[in-house]
Amino acid sequence: MNPLDYTKAFTDFWTAQGDALKKAQEQAGKTLEEGMQALASGAMPKMPGLPTDLSAGVAELTQAGQSIMELWSAATAMCGKLATSLPATAGSLDATVEATFRKIADPRSWLAGTGEMDDVLGRMAEGPRFADLWEVERLYARVLQAWTNLRRRGLEHNAVVLEAWLQAGQSFTARLAGHTGTDTPPLDAKAALALWTETANQQLLEMQRSEPFLQTQAAMIRATTELRLVQQDLVEHVGKQYGFPTRSELDDVHRTVTGLRREVRVMRRQFSSAVAAPQAAARGQAPTPHTARRSNARRKAATT
Amino acid sequence: MTPIGISPTNALSEAAKMGTKVLTGGRLLNAMRDVDVQIATTPKDLVWSQDKVSLFRFRPLAEQLIRVPVLICYGLVGRWTMTDLQEDRSLVRNLLKLGLDLYVVDWGNPSRADRYLTLDDYILGYLDGCVTEIAKRAGVKQVNLLGVCEGGVFATAFAALKPERINTLTLTITPIDFHADMVEERLGHGFINVWTRSISAEDVDRLIDANGNLPGEFMAAIFNQMSPMRSLLKYNLDLLDIADDEQRLMNWLRMEKWIADRPDHPGEAARQWLKDLYQQNKLVRNEWELDGRRVDLGNIRMPVLNVYAKDDHIIPPATSRALGPKVGSSDYTELALAGGHIGVFVGNRSQTLFAPAVASFVAKHDRTAA
Repeated sequence: MNPLDYTKAFTDFWTAQGDALKKAQEQAGKTLEEGMQALASGAMPKMPGLPTDLSAGVAELTQAGQSIMELWSAATAMCGKLATSLPATAGSLDATVEATFRKIADPRSWLAGTGEMDDVLGRMAEGPRFADLWEVERLYARVLQAWTNLRRRGLEHNAVVLEAWLQAGQSFTARLAGHTGTDTPPLDAKAALALWTETANQQLLEMQRSEPFLQTQAAMIRATTELRLVQQDLVEHVGKQYGFPTRSELDDVHRTVTGLRREVRVMRRQFSSAVAAPQAAARGQAPTPHTARRSNARRKAATT
Repeated sequence: MTPIGISPTNALSEAAKMGTKVLTGGRLLNAMRDVDVQIATTPKDLVWSQDKVSLFRFRPLAEQLIRVPVLICYGLVGRWTMTDLQEDRSLVRNLLKLGLDLYVVDWGNPSRADRYLTLDDYILGYLDGCVTEIAKRAGVKQVNLLGVCEGGVFATAFAALKPERINTLTLTITPIDFHADMVEERLGHGFINVWTRSISAEDVDRLIDANGNLPGEFMAAIFNQMSPMRSLLKYNLDLLDIADDEQRLMNWLRMEKWIADRPDHPGEAARQWLKDLYQQNKLVRNEWELDGRRVDLGNIRMPVLNVYAKDDHIIPPATSRALGPKVGSSDYTELALAGGHIGVFVGNRSQTLFAPAVASFVAKHDRTAA
């Protein structure tokens, strides 16, 4: 394939991806909003204690989605620009480096590469799905609300990350421009990758210490935790109905076992000290001291 | 002129090299099985255990020259196997060859059932049990403690609360002042410190309440954020670079095996670790309490060797070196090693510096113990 065609296909692909994601996001937001409006307008049976601000959460989610879509379009344009700087060479180490370069210059990898925390949090939060909506509406609505909030926080955080990548891209382009003169030879693919890595790394490290990054990440962790907690409430509810042992019951048992083990350790030590003392006295030595007392602090921790 | 240029001649030559590399690498990887990638292979025996905690004694590799045994105490983040990653990069082997009687404590794999274990339990319960057992076996009253990272904090607290049980204290890459990362503010250094300060105490509580423990993969994600570009290059270019070199590939896989071993951190202990130490910085202020007793660093009157890595991005040097002015010991020495957090154990230069320094330190004070 002609390198120019390849580049065009590459940027077209990114643009198409961006458009598709934008449309999907808008559609998802619209569907969710309609669903929430139907729920709030009484199309579905209302239950006491049902959250009433679900629509507001959806609006914020949609807003966060729109922000990231704008950034995504900019990222796509930026990557198109980067891609045109890199000629294709098949079957060489340079080609591998190029492929890697193209991969890590792809906006999708920008979010994937630094989105590990997001993934981990997602796995931690996303427990089983519950189809039995009609028996536990209130709890399910809370789960949905927490899920919507988590998605919103995730998008807000991703927007911060994407913006840093964009700045890295601009900085890289500016540094590349220094290699187009007659005195400065062009970089080979490996050198270009090294330059990109260094530039992006610097930008990302700076971003990680920035208030927006730390604040949005903390908000995302908070949202994940909240989702997990309301999911657990739902499971507890179902578990109790069907007589299954629940997480809190198991926790009670574990707390008791941990406390008993502590007591056993203390008694073992007291026993050892009691045995060692006469023996040491017989030898005219002081026994090795053992602190046997347990603290209120530990007891407090055990009953938290 | 395009800023990136590739000549056809170079491309052909590189293509040939590349083909060979990929073929060789593919053959090597196909022939390897997970069981071939072994870490922590130095022979050892289980000598004591309690609940999930195991105490091992390494078999000697040389005549024992130092009477007072050394106990390696790693933390709950990661595992001690880093100290014995491979035969030619092993602090454990190096110490054994220098005539030390060496033990290590393995905390096991905490599960949700262990969520209520506190640092009090680990330090004044299990670690105390290990020290007692070692002293009994060796016929001594005191042992030498060698703490690593979070395990260094365990060792420090134990030495401060039970100084009569410790002959010497060696700390490696150990945080003491959890806010001292702000002294230097080096980019990419001390992100865990920054991150923990960016969340509230309530956030920590909710995180632990929701998950029971602090999941190992969560901490791994925090660690990975510290080197953002590595995760993008690690499994493609980095791997390709070494794919046709069996020894380097095996070294790489051993490190991967260690990284993949991420035990969960028991919840209550994690709550203390993150809130009391990272957020409230109680250790260096002599405000930390275990079992109702204040950990006063001034009680550390035994000889102390404090080893830190000059380019440690996880435990910035200033956070470790803060111990110096706080200890009550008049025999306090620092050893700065080149490299980063892991380089202390696996770096080429460390192999000839670290273990000899520890052996010399404990040998110097050996006569005072028995």
